[in-house]
Amino acid sequence: MDLVDLIAEKRFIGQEFLTWLWWKSEERGGSIELPGQGDITVVFEKHMLLEYGEGESSEKCICSGLQSELKEARTGLVMGKKLEQARIQLAQNDYEWNFTMAAAVMEFRNVKLPKTGPAQEGGDNPEEKEGMILERIFLFEELVRLVQTLFRMFLEVRVGNGWKDELVKIRKWVHSRGQMAENNDRER
Amino acid sequence: MGFLNGSASFVRFSTEGDLPENFWDFAAERITAFSFKDIDETYDEFSVGWVSVQNMFDSDFNFGSYASGDYVTLSLRIDERKVAPAILKKFAQKEEERIKKEKQIPKIGRTLKVEIRERIQSELMKKAVPVPAVYDLCWNLSDSTLLFFTTNKKAHTLLEDLFKETFGLLIVQQIPYTMAEHLLDDDDKQRLAAISPDIFV
Repeated sequence: MDLVDLIAEKRFIGQEFLTWLWWKSEERGGSIELPGQGDITVVFEKHMLLEYGEGESSEKCICSGLQSELKEARTGLVMGKKLEQARIQLAQNDYEWNFTMAAAVMEFRNVKLPKTGPAQEGGDNPEEKEGMILERIFLFEELVRLVQTLFRMFLEVRVGNGWKDELVKIRKWVHSRGQMAENNDRER
Repeated sequence: MGFLNGSASFVRFSTEGDLPENFWDFAAERITAFSFKDIDETYDEFSVGWVSVQNMFDSDFNFGSYASGDYVTLSLRIDERKVAPAILKKFAQKEEERIKKEKQIPKIGRTLKVEIRERIQSELMKKAVPVPAVYDLCWNLSDSTLLFFTTNKKAHTLLEDLFKETFGLLIVQQIPYTMAEHLLDDDDKQRLAAISPDIFV
């Protein structure tokens, strides 16, 4: 199968991953345990894009707001939409990345790298420049590695026997979120 | 904004195939062969090639500046002469009017219209200043993966072509499904191929 067909047929895998990651990040209040590496912080923030259906009949819904108020996004989930894009903050040890993930093709957009102190500015000295380049490469690859670790966690559950149980938990979360959004509406 | 400073957007590719022995000698020769050629002083419409990630005017790569540890860092530079459709339309119509007056005819035939349009397009193209675009890449040799710092699909295609010509290697964009194939064992891969979308509500 060529890449264009593969993207179309399998785009749901990335979207399911991102939706799962949203649930997973809220399951323990923003932290996720990576096997053998301890906890990392994953926070969904500000901006999301949800998608429903495919091709010409697809619907999209852009939501932005503060973390706790992504009401439309939560309602969208209840209506069966899946996350296609989300702004994520990811932190491990002293490093913190901010990036937007486009799920279907797994594009990393507007990636903000962790601040690493004045050393990264570099000078005109070729050695300092190479050091700066290598440091930035390390930080980009570290982000990819963390996302891949999370993706692998998702895949192992997704193709394994535990998926049905996980799905029950996710559905419960989606509904409780939808409920929360409705209640907030009523209160206003 | 991109690889070297500020915030960046990127996609991942994997490279397929083996690197030749003496890779760095091979790379030096091939990168120079496919380095960017300036078209500012010519009438060429399009030019694509490699420049240094630190300087878009450096296509000589003194001291192998594309080598950083076990990585190759390069920028894909594309210069293209373009004529905006509205400008082409305006000048083609202007020329039609001129010819109508000159020949004292009320209307211009289809064939002549096409001729005029083509001639005007080529004249305008020669006057147009090439518009540059630069996209960075970072190739991890030991992992056979590559980060390409743009989400522009046209640039992805140009990269695939130039990379193949330069290094003789195919690159394949890593979407979740292909990435998963690298992360899972054979049994899980088969299971993955069989799954269909699930409903989360």
